Amino acid sequence: MGEEKILLKDKDFAGAEDIANAKDMPGSKETSAGAKGIAAGAKGIAGMDGSKTNVVISGTGVLAKTVRVSKKGDELYSCSRCGTCLSICPVYKNTLDEGVSPRGKLSLIEAAANKTLPLTDKLSQKIYTCTMCNYCTKECPSGVKISELFRAVRQDLVDSSKYPEILDMLKDKIKTAYNITFDTNQGRLDWLKQIPGITLSDYVKDTAEVVYFVGCVSSFSPRSFSIPRAITEIFKRADVDFTLLGEDEWCCGFPLLSSGMTDAVTSLALHNIGMVIKKGAKLLITSCPSCFHTWAHEYTELTGVKPDFEIMHVSQYLLRLIQEGKIKLNDISVNKAGIKVTYHDPCDLGRNSGIFEEPRQVIKSIPGIDFIELDTNRLQANCCGGGGNIESLNPALSSKIADAKTDEIFATKAEIVVSACQQCERTMNTALKRKKGEIDYKVKVLDIAELVLQSMNAEG
Amino acid sequence: MPDVIVRVSSAEQISRIMRFANLEKIPVTPRGAATGLSGGCLTVNGGISLVMVDMNRIIGINPVDLLAEVEAGVITIDVDKAASKYGLFYPPDPGSLKTSTIGGNIAENAGGLRGLKYGVTKDYVNALEVVLPTGEIINTGTKTVKSVVGYNLVDLMVGSEGTLGIVTKAVLGLLPAPPARASILATFADMLDAAKTVRDIVAAGVITATLEFVDNVTINAIEDYLKVGLDRSIGAMLLIEVDGQQGAVDIEAAVVTGVCNDNGALSCKQATSDEERNKLWAARRAALSSLARIKPSTILEDATVPRSRIVELIEAVKSIAKKYDIMIGTFGHAGDGNLHPTILTDLRDSVEEAKVEKVIEEIFIETIKLDGTLSGEHGIGITKAKYLKLEISEDAYQLMKRIKKAFDPNNILNPGKMFLT
Ligand SMILES: Cc1cc2nc3c(=O)[nH]c(=O)nc-3n(C[C@H](O)[C@H](O)[C@H](O)COP(=O)(O)OP(=O)(O)OC[C@H]3O[C@@H](n4cnc5c(N)ncnc54)[C@H](O)[C@@H]3O)c2cc1C
Ligand code: SF4
Ligand code: SF4
Repeated sequence: MGEEKILLKDKDFAGAEDIANAKDMPGSKETSAGAKGIAAGAKGIAGMDGSKTNVVISGTGVLAKTVRVSKKGDELYSCSRCGTCLSICPVYKNTLDEGVSPRGKLSLIEAAANKTLPLTDKLSQKIYTCTMCNYCTKECPSGVKISELFRAVRQDLVDSSKYPEILDMLKDKIKTAYNITFDTNQGRLDWLKQIPGITLSDYVKDTAEVVYFVGCVSSFSPRSFSIPRAITEIFKRADVDFTLLGEDEWCCGFPLLSSGMTDAVTSLALHNIGMVIKKGAKLLITSCPSCFHTWAHEYTELTGVKPDFEIMHVSQYLLRLIQEGKIKLNDISVNKAGIKVTYHDPCDLGRNSGIFEEPRQVIKSIPGIDFIELDTNRLQANCCGGGGNIESLNPALSSKIADAKTDEIFATKAEIVVSACQQCERTMNTALKRKKGEIDYKVKVLDIAELVLQSMNAEG
Repeated sequence: MPDVIVRVSSAEQISRIMRFANLEKIPVTPRGAATGLSGGCLTVNGGISLVMVDMNRIIGINPVDLLAEVEAGVITIDVDKAASKYGLFYPPDPGSLKTSTIGGNIAENAGGLRGLKYGVTKDYVNALEVVLPTGEIINTGTKTVKSVVGYNLVDLMVGSEGTLGIVTKAVLGLLPAPPARASILATFADMLDAAKTVRDIVAAGVITATLEFVDNVTINAIEDYLKVGLDRSIGAMLLIEVDGQQGAVDIEAAVVTGVCNDNGALSCKQATSDEERNKLWAARRAALSSLARIKPSTILEDATVPRSRIVELIEAVKSIAKKYDIMIGTFGHAGDGNLHPTILTDLRDSVEEAKVEKVIEEIFIETIKLDGTLSGEHGIGITKAKYLKLEISEDAYQLMKRIKKAFDPNNILNPGKMFLT
């Protein structure tokens, strides 16, 4: 018998480390008829499985915010465990770990709210294993407000000090320097200052029609400098009366919101709104979809202020400039029948903000492009792997998700993959480099603005 | 709740786990994607939850023999995708096909929308590799079209709900993908006319690929959710698809349209493009989701009767709903007599819960009276265990228990399912 026990400890079990404490894994309430039917069909069994029978969660308890958002458990209860979300969730598909699937996370949350499971670090880790791509919420047949619950539970985890340490660093950086990097906020315009011969006052004005909100990543990460550079060049050439905020641009707060640290965001929001009003702008433009999402969908609720300027993502504004004839687009195909181009919908721009068509229209209005959709697109677009802080919390998983995206790109045979997000561009670029040996042609990742500029610069 | 979860990746590992579990008398419960609708993968008495999803290799497709060889954790739709590269398809298409595993499909003998013409999972399982509860690994079945050698263990495994062995590999049958198809949506003022149409289509000699029924409650739910412009006042609609060679499809579509009109269809519309077809299907696919949004608990039943009795079943369900004043939406694969009366309620309310129990029991009793069966495709598991003897005789029950004992003398594989005693 002893021998048999040793046999089982054998390292060749793929899931050796996965012979996890079952308590960290939801295994229970199976599906709508399955588990809820248990209550009707075979009483008593339900309790043993920890399946949900009477989960009206009451009182404040450990997950106060979640309990409130879930309407005392109603919202959690309405997950029928049908498993639809398993077929789409990037973190599940790339780990096959039920504990990080949307339905798995929901049952962990429910168990924690019910106090049948303690709030452990491991549980918290599972909940944070999420790109916040929101695909599950959009596809859930029962209409469970999953992302709202995820956000509430992250807030609760922050309140109970059960969250990844790395987030403290992020919070400190934003609180002290108003950006997500180790730099001071004076570095906001380094991407611009490095361009020879520019006059700063042409870019940072006292007043202007349009404010371009660059965002932390594009401002500080040299790999993304090409995006604000392209945008400002296009704006200049199209005679747009615009200004940057420079040092007065503060992090939009999105990284904190998605981490569950909502409280710290209101002051950032108020500051940013005030700065745009001070410039007398009629229009605010962002190039980062997450900044856009935060400006367009979060700020008013957070601050109670409803700014009277318009908020646009740069892809929408580029389309306007094209339609107004302010930009001249030239054929980029150079002697070819047409260059194959595909487009990746960033989660925060597409699924979370409903902007699907404008970027496509911009791409299609460029002569010499043979546009081809990715296998998953628009509402069904797979995440690139760069969302939800997952790149820093679980780099290996992030890479795996990105690799799957790359396979989709390869399947189109496109030579250019366009995105409208500096984070997607970065994640996809890294993945394409990693996998370049798999194809015998080159694939380039371009931001939508970079593509437009390339077309403006092409031989007319 | 399970005591441990083991993610397995080979038959040999499972074999060792089973030998160990027999020595220690630890219950083992196989788990595919956990989309089952009768509680089959739940660990009733704790023990080991044996997670199969890592065994997801498609070993090969043989386009000449029309076979696919796959591991048990492969997701259903992936078999079909692999087959499509050869112009073939894997016919069983449960609504859960994007999530469910082949092992789970085999264990539950899953059906799908195409069941009327193409049958169910059992019709496509040629051979299996199975780890027996006592740890032996057996291969059973053949890659041939026919075979009569010893007892048919393949068919015994199919539908055994993970109680007789753990399927690790399967050789599945494939078919050439039909080159043409036509989709027709017919609406009826009275749901009984729709039910009669189902009967008459088959009587007219047409075996449609799908013949789906959606009742008024479900139509209204779909309209609330999707707002696709369905007429809320109609009694029922049928979604019919015929497939095959173009010429045959044209003739069959004409016959179907004729039968619908003869039965007083309010409208009968054939999709003229893929886009239109997708629109027609979107409504049907949304049926369950739309119902699920109405109340916190959704109980999907699975009563199945001979096609000729479908009108009676629909009427029975309607009157049960009225008697108990409970909301039941009915839709399903009417062509093969398999309906899904879906009870909408809140099981956290004990009064509702007691009522639901009565409703279910009455539906079952009516179904059996109509020569029907408790479950067309979802299995017995936990949820229907107590009704098993409504349908099968004491002698048959005892024989089943002896079979179980022969396979699993210590009763460690998925205990607590199917048999209550
Ligand atoms: C939205 C939705 C739609 C559905 N539509 C249909 C439909 O149209 N038709 C239909 O028939 N069903 C349908 N189902 C039910 C369900 O999807 C099927 O029963 C499916 O076959 C279960 O597969 P699974 O991988 O999820 O198995 P699980 O639920 O994990 O397990 C089901 C049973 O199989 C056993 N099992 C799993 N893997 C193995 C293995 N390798 N060897 C031995 N036993 C094993 C388990 O122990 C359990 O008893 C639907 C379910 C949902 C949620
Ligand atoms: S899709 Fe929705 S209802 Fe289904 S398991 Fe996922 S969260 Fe639950
Ligand atoms: S938001 Fe995306 S990554 Fe997170 S659980 Fe939902 S589908 Fe998975």
